[in-house]
Amino acid sequence: MATNHQRDPDGWQSRLASRFARFAEFVQDTENDAVAVGALGTVALLGAFASFLVTSPYTSVFLAGFLAAVVYGWVRHQELAARGVTLAMTVSTVVILALITFFIFYEAWPILADRSGTVFGVTVPGLGMFTTTAWNPATASPKYSMLPMIQGTVLVTLVATAVAGPLGVAAALFISEIAPPAVRELVKPGVEILAGIPSIVYGFLGFTVLSPWASDAFDLVGQGTYLFVGIVVGLMALPTVVSVAEDAINSVPESMKSGSLALGTTDWQTMTTVTIPTAFSGVSAAVLLGVGRAIGETMAATVMLRNTPTVAEPLYNVFYGFETLTSLIAANYGSSSGLQKDALFVAGCILFVSVLALSIGSQLIERRMDRKVGGVE
Amino acid sequence: MSETEPQAESTARSSETTTGETDERIREEWSDYSFEGEAKLAVEDLDVHYGDDHALKGVSMDIPEESVTALIGPSGCGKSTYLRCLNRMNDRIKAASIDGSVQLDGEEIYQDGVDLVELRKEVGMVFQAPNPFPKSIRDNITYGPRKHGDLDTGLLARLTGRDDSDDADALVQRALEQAAIWDEVEDRLDDNAMGLSGGQQQRLCIARCLAVDPDVILMDEPASALDPVATSKIEDLIEELAEDYTVVVVTHNMQQAARISDQTAVFLTGGELVEYDDTEKIFENPESQRVEDYVTGKFG
Amino acid sequence: MAGATDSSVVRGDTSTYETVAAVTVGLAAVLFFLGLAATVELVSITGTLAGLPTLTTLGLLLVCMGLAVAGFGLVSYRGIFPTDPRASAGLVAAGLFAGLWGLIGALVFTETLGLGLLGGLGGGLGLGAVAFFATALPREDVGSTLPAGALAAFFGLVFLLGIVGPEWSWSPANFPDSQSVTFFARSVAPFAVMASSLVVGWAAAKAYGGFGARGRHLGAYLLVYLNAVAIIAILVALVAFVVFKGFGPVTEGIEVGLGVGPTTTIGLLGFSVDVVWPVFWPFLMNGASLFTDITGVFPAIVGTAWLVVGAVVLAVPLGVGAAIFLTEYAEQGRFTNVVEVATNALWSTPSIVFGLFGAAFLVPRFAPQKSLIAGMITLGFMLLPLVVITAREAMIAVPDEYRDASAALGVSRWQTIRSVVLPAAMPGVVTGVILGVGRIAGETAPLLLTMGGGSFVEAGRRAKVLGNFQLSLSPPFVTNPELTQATTALPYQLWQVVLTGTGQTAGVDDVTAFGWGTALVLLGVVLAFYAVGIATRQYFRSKLTYE
Repeated sequence: MATNHQRDPDGWQSRLASRFARFAEFVQDTENDAVAVGALGTVALLGAFASFLVTSPYTSVFLAGFLAAVVYGWVRHQELAARGVTLAMTVSTVVILALITFFIFYEAWPILADRSGTVFGVTVPGLGMFTTTAWNPATASPKYSMLPMIQGTVLVTLVATAVAGPLGVAAALFISEIAPPAVRELVKPGVEILAGIPSIVYGFLGFTVLSPWASDAFDLVGQGTYLFVGIVVGLMALPTVVSVAEDAINSVPESMKSGSLALGTTDWQTMTTVTIPTAFSGVSAAVLLGVGRAIGETMAATVMLRNTPTVAEPLYNVFYGFETLTSLIAANYGSSSGLQKDALFVAGCILFVSVLALSIGSQLIERRMDRKVGGVE
Repeated sequence: MSETEPQAESTARSSETTTGETDERIREEWSDYSFEGEAKLAVEDLDVHYGDDHALKGVSMDIPEESVTALIGPSGCGKSTYLRCLNRMNDRIKAASIDGSVQLDGEEIYQDGVDLVELRKEVGMVFQAPNPFPKSIRDNITYGPRKHGDLDTGLLARLTGRDDSDDADALVQRALEQAAIWDEVEDRLDDNAMGLSGGQQQRLCIARCLAVDPDVILMDEPASALDPVATSKIEDLIEELAEDYTVVVVTHNMQQAARISDQTAVFLTGGELVEYDDTEKIFENPESQRVEDYVTGKFG
Repeated sequence: MAGATDSSVVRGDTSTYETVAAVTVGLAAVLFFLGLAATVELVSITGTLAGLPTLTTLGLLLVCMGLAVAGFGLVSYRGIFPTDPRASAGLVAAGLFAGLWGLIGALVFTETLGLGLLGGLGGGLGLGAVAFFATALPREDVGSTLPAGALAAFFGLVFLLGIVGPEWSWSPANFPDSQSVTFFARSVAPFAVMASSLVVGWAAAKAYGGFGARGRHLGAYLLVYLNAVAIIAILVALVAFVVFKGFGPVTEGIEVGLGVGPTTTIGLLGFSVDVVWPVFWPFLMNGASLFTDITGVFPAIVGTAWLVVGAVVLAVPLGVGAAIFLTEYAEQGRFTNVVEVATNALWSTPSIVFGLFGAAFLVPRFAPQKSLIAGMITLGFMLLPLVVITAREAMIAVPDEYRDASAALGVSRWQTIRSVVLPAAMPGVVTGVILGVGRIAGETAPLLLTMGGGSFVEAGRRAKVLGNFQLSLSPPFVTNPELTQATTALPYQLWQVVLTGTGQTAGVDDVTAFGWGTALVLLGVVLAFYAVGIATRQYFRSKLTYE
């Protein structure tokens, strides 16, 4: 072990150094015109991106430059050009996500700053939007509260999960374990088609058929209920739960199921005590993804709800439906400006963050499951 | 080697080298292979097709009770297929079509109205690759009896004081001792079974099968994935089991078959049962030339 | 000694007990459908059924089934017929019955006995606890049947004795007047009937199986099969309803014959030919204007078509390129993990958030108003993660042996990708793209914010992108006014119908019928993509599997 006088606590400095060294070597080894074209292309691409950001009319010039560089590189050094272009494409996916994240928070910032509150002396931006329940953009001192919309989204999501969760897992079990082959060929595409029906069509059906029926059946004031929106959204989230859960159940090794059956158990016992517990992580991930889908559902909610942000009373009153985070944006964007528009972006932020959290959560759970089942074979 | 000596009725001499005709004659003769005692399993004209592939051709053989029957032959000759027919595990394969008769204690198992769950309580199976459940060792052993309702250790039972935990513990110990693994795991019964070595897992699977107390134990190459030490432990175990159970073992290890079995059935290419007789006879003086070639290592 | 059992492996012939149980399951199914029919007023709660007032008939049936089920339990318990029950019905069943009975208890104590919220809570918990122990403590045959039969009998008696009659209603007092809810017999009774029939059917199925493991297996399978059937039935009902409502408006005024349709001018190399279509399909070929009698969705169809083209042109090369880099060039490390997380995050982002992004970022950078190109790019971003994920999966599925063989022949990596990996992965990518296109073709939310133009437009005002590219010497050098126009698309058109409600707009006589027609066309387009995608997937799967 040689003594090292240079302190390198994280190791990233040495990694960076070695990366630079490798890059320098690469530049040296490659032909000069390839390096030149590569550099030019990269500069042009970055330039195009930057000029697009500032809405410059010269974007097309940079873009043309980039295309010229790519064409030249393709003709002369296709191997390197291919690698470079595909790298650029990969980076762009990350850039797009970063842009989306940045811009919705950027647009939401003005009202978050305007409505800050203090908690124990710490300024919390946007607190004012969560401590009142009124949404009154048109008054002299406009009030913007996210709480009615949060209540709406929560109620709709709860109902939707109650529908999509158990029924979806049961359907997934049916498709992968129980159904005879002929029936499976019918039910599996059927569930996929259910996923294919556009949300506006679901909304239209709900608006013209379900909502009037509900108002009549329960003698409601006006039309629009969280209950029935939740049922429709649950139906829309069902295929998500079914497909992910089905993958999880299929990945349980046949040897384990055979082992259980060979001991003299019924198929149902094998499913409940071997298959589902082994696939449990995947099934939970499926339900989480279904919840995420339900939270993000826009058009069915927008069409079927009343679009007047109000708190439903009592808090569990699902027989009235006013506004969810998604319907707020869809219904109001065209007609809003200034702080009200920024409030819509706040709703967008809440949506984005919660769905992201659910998605990452389900990925982590699935990774845990791979490790667990991987230990078997 | 077995203690009982079943009598073979007659031995015919084949003066010609093997042809299909001669094999036919041989089959006629040894199909009279009879033994003292009951036939636990009586198989007649068993045919299995996987789609177009004729995996098992008209196999007929009776398996005596409380003995070890070995099924040997090169890979892909239908031994495992045959074995899986005896507890109807082949039903799980969609492309399989099965004709013929298999009788357990005189009852046809391929008729309508057969309860597969009951069948598999009587005819247990140990698979080629160990397949313990990702549960504790204790839960693996008690799995069968719990699912059959013979042992109740659930939360509700424990709360109402009606649980069988003592019986469960006794069962676990008995099964693990029978499988010759008790000493190695007695102080970690609640550890996950996946943490055991391959040989231990396989013996655990045998213990799990024994805990159900079947009449017949089917073993599909039980030691093929194991090291020599574990293999010899399992071979000893099989010989002991023959005292109380009917054991049918598929193996591609001829020496193993010669060591542990009482009678041996030889399957050769194409799902044919070529000869079935006392183990001594098969290995020292088989009727069929093909069998002799196989056991002396000339091919396969 | 090995198990010297004398129990047979063969199940005997069906006994009377089993037959009666099977019949009960059948009756439960009938009752379930009666309840279903009552929700849609095919059977009227306030009317009559089989000669008696509906609630009386239903009540009688419920009481009979409840008694039958309880009978199964008692007959089994007395050993009159051989069954194989466990010592207890189990925690799951106990929990479910506790929930059902707890709910009944809460409602009864709150309203009927007028004890308010606390009374309701107490009553609910109490009755729930009773049900829990009644299910869990006795032997399984009693525990599964008595609570189930009691539920059906309870509702049956409530109907028979007129406690809930055809005119019954209840309005919870703690709901404010502006948000009041009233429960009527005609809305609530059907659900009580359906719930009871499910529970009774389950218990009867268990009885048929002789309780124990087999009984539970049969009971569970009954419910799971019913679930699958219900899902498919709902799907069929949805699609059939849209077809039924939309078929009329869509097919109105179709004419077939020579010279009947619109004229298309095809210009090629200086020659121009006028082709007259032999079919005139007004709904698909017209726009909305005061001069056409049948309003059509032609501009919306064109808009959707351009959106799809634009999104595909953006997302497919980008996505496939990224997938190539991730699978073939990059090493598994921090960078690939970040990209994977980013792709999954994009995939689950709600469509309205994409719309917000498009409105905030893209729209101002192309034109002062909403534009087609902003919509194209937004939808392209939505399609991108799907293409990346599908292409990656398709490329990972290509066996390494192919790549090794190509490398061993001295072929460079990019050439290998181009000539070996990509062609092998193409079927998977194509299938994924088709399914993805199906999804984005139906998206409305992003369009609302980035592209949606006027409500009902004439056929002539559709987006004519191809003929309108203009080059100029001053920046920005390339423009196309059609791309920077706000325009319409099928989903957006349907949304406009909802906004407008019923009424006259721009020459549309019956807006609701127009809406159904639009919905049918949209559904047809999207389902066509899905059908083609699923079919290609089946086709390629059958080509690649060997059995």
